[in-house]
Amino acid sequence: MTSPNGLICFTNCLLPQEDGALVEKDLWIDERRGVVLDSQKTFFLRKERPDRVIDLGGNILSPGFLDIQINGAYNFDFSVYEGDDETYRTGLHRVAEKIVETGVTSLLPTIILSSFSAERDAIAVFPHPSLTQERSLYPKLLHLLRPYHSPTSATLLGWHAEGPFIQFAKRGAHEPQFLLTAKEDIKSFEEVYGADNLTVNEDWLMDDETVGVRVITAAPEVDGVMSSIEELTRRGIVFSIGHSIASTGLATAAVQNGARLITHLFNAMPQLHHRDPSIIGLLGASPHLSSPSNPASPVSATFPKIHRVPSTVRRSAAAQGPQATSEAFDDVQTPPLTPVLRAQTDLDDLHLQKGKVADLAFERPFYELIVDGIHSHPNSVRLAYSSFPEGCVLITDAMKILDPHLKDGVHEWRDGKRFVKSGDKLYLEGTDTLAGSVVTLDKCVRNFSRFTGCSLGEAIRCATYNPAKCLGIEHRKGTLRPGADADLVVLDRRGKVLSTWVRGREVWTKAD
Amino acid sequence: MRLIIRDNAAHVGEYIANYIAKRINDFAPTPEKPFVLGLPTGSSPIPTYKHLIKLVKEGKLSFKNVVTFNMDEYVGLPEDHPESYHTFMFREFFSHVDIPPSQVNILNGNAKNLIEECKSYEEKIKKYGGIELFLGGIGEDGHIAFNEPGSSLASRTRIKTLAYDTILANARFFNNDIAAVPRMALTVGVATVLESREVVVVVTGQRKALALSKAIEEGVNHLWTLSALQLHPWALIVVDEDATAELHVKTVKYFKSIERVQDEVEAMHDALKKQGVDEPVGSME
Repeated sequence: MTSPNGLICFTNCLLPQEDGALVEKDLWIDERRGVVLDSQKTFFLRKERPDRVIDLGGNILSPGFLDIQINGAYNFDFSVYEGDDETYRTGLHRVAEKIVETGVTSLLPTIILSSFSAERDAIAVFPHPSLTQERSLYPKLLHLLRPYHSPTSATLLGWHAEGPFIQFAKRGAHEPQFLLTAKEDIKSFEEVYGADNLTVNEDWLMDDETVGVRVITAAPEVDGVMSSIEELTRRGIVFSIGHSIASTGLATAAVQNGARLITHLFNAMPQLHHRDPSIIGLLGASPHLSSPSNPASPVSATFPKIHRVPSTVRRSAAAQGPQATSEAFDDVQTPPLTPVLRAQTDLDDLHLQKGKVADLAFERPFYELIVDGIHSHPNSVRLAYSSFPEGCVLITDAMKILDPHLKDGVHEWRDGKRFVKSGDKLYLEGTDTLAGSVVTLDKCVRNFSRFTGCSLGEAIRCATYNPAKCLGIEHRKGTLRPGADADLVVLDRRGKVLSTWVRGREVWTKAD
Repeated sequence: MRLIIRDNAAHVGEYIANYIAKRINDFAPTPEKPFVLGLPTGSSPIPTYKHLIKLVKEGKLSFKNVVTFNMDEYVGLPEDHPESYHTFMFREFFSHVDIPPSQVNILNGNAKNLIEECKSYEEKIKKYGGIELFLGGIGEDGHIAFNEPGSSLASRTRIKTLAYDTILANARFFNNDIAAVPRMALTVGVATVLESREVVVVVTGQRKALALSKAIEEGVNHLWTLSALQLHPWALIVVDEDATAELHVKTVKYFKSIERVQDEVEAMHDALKKQGVDEPVGSME
């Protein structure tokens, strides 16, 4: 059913705002252009009002969800290239078409130079073990991951490369033989990802032909990475700290150089240690310690040494057995490090306004949370969220097994391996090894509201506006501002998806 | 003149909305012969708008064949400013009812030639055959539309400087920053309102009590411009109990006693109209 004049009014609904509020208000969209309208301007200037009015019966009309870290779904793995562009494109298309049932209307395929570590002898990303050959295929794969959408599918936003410039000790599911250092700084990045995949392009979403790089997850302590952050950031790429053992000083320096995101917080990083809170501690970054304008800043002059066991030491320990542990339970002891507390100097007056936090030039990074109740304890989720609600980004980090229709039980994976799915938990058959996440993003939103006690509107914000803002696309995605894409999801008041719209078109409705 | 007293602002709004709905439905407007309605902004008419919206949603009323003219608009305030009367009308009323945008008229406070804008507004009203019913509210100083104290009672649509009282009262909508409140507005004149066939005014709250007393218990006075309503043959003021605080007990009792006559008045009006008498008959008091 379309509207005679192409305009649709959603009424009797709650609209999530960019600040997390839920407001009872109508929303007007243009189904032909696929955008949200400024209703007042449409009325007074265009002299039109929607011919079609949809009464949502008091439900919530949210911007469509964004998942900025997802490895695959519906039996398609973004990191697996089977030697044929067409097969790969078909797989991408299938995911984009189906994922809308989970409320996701934009996703960022995440690729790793590896297959799941517990089966390293199975087929890796590419069928041959030669490293050179793997790397030569990488740019090709990324080239296929340019922004894409069909009229009925979610938008593929480009790609998120997780690795290979990551810390051996926190490699998680990544194949050790593929890990690299960036000895030649940005050149090393260009060599791995392909120089033409990293070119500057600000209007990337305006044109489907543009380059798809959006996020690179790397460890700042790996050789050459820290010095590349500024250039990567300059090219419009979101640098995300992850799979890293960076100390507080290093992590802070990475953010000062432009790092904007933390990859799956709590997982594949040192646990929160009060003497050296490391990467997690960025959420509580003390303004007086972290400001680059403050001469007392621990990182403005020289980088402190990484007071951690060098990764090479651990390499031998880790190499002893292919004990595949999930990133969530990778438990490397955090050596205590007393930070340089020069924040105690008496340089400035202290402010006197209650409720205000000293406004020094340090922007805390966004941080990703997997809210499946498995990868992070609900208490940890609440702890992170309370310390920095504006930075919270919900992700699924889902494996190709993600498919809400898949029943619990034993399922074939590949090469004779099988996994056991039990609710949102996924094990390798015969082990207690977690085999990644299979939670859907809409469930993460509901979980998040329960775990933190925040309102549904505030939880929605962490799957819409926050990730869009992190990627710098909050004018088009994750918002109901006039001019934004009419990617919408209708939720009931318990957060269950009732229908999904992409660019002004209803593409999925819950069966009655 | 009739004065209807209701318990509170919500009941006042309900009363007026039902009254307007009846008037529109009895009029049986068509595209060729639309019902021409004058509308105000401000907090007083909000309960009326709310109830009108309810009637439209229930299918008991339609604005498809209604043409509206708003009373006023600030000068120099962008149309999409949260405090502009365009924004107010869209937010509180037009977005919720089925009125076609082309039938909505609001003065353009950003017109290059403001005088011409006012003149053509008057002409447009005339072209529609005048306003059938003008709904209005009043300020604490008794102003109707932006016809501040001292306005000519023969005034037409024009540019008007706001009284200091009004600027102070409106500052709360502009972050309490008096400097941010527009100093000027375009407004229909007292005579423009008086020329409409029927005038309905909503007055609620104790803060408006003195103005109500001045308007109906004393003589016609340009310092309380609502008092000009005394010259109108068919006027209705609907107030809540709070707004009667400054009236004489005798006045209140008198108006209460004649309220029951109203139905008869309207019945008579309808009957006359059916006989082809086009003139409004006014009230029976």
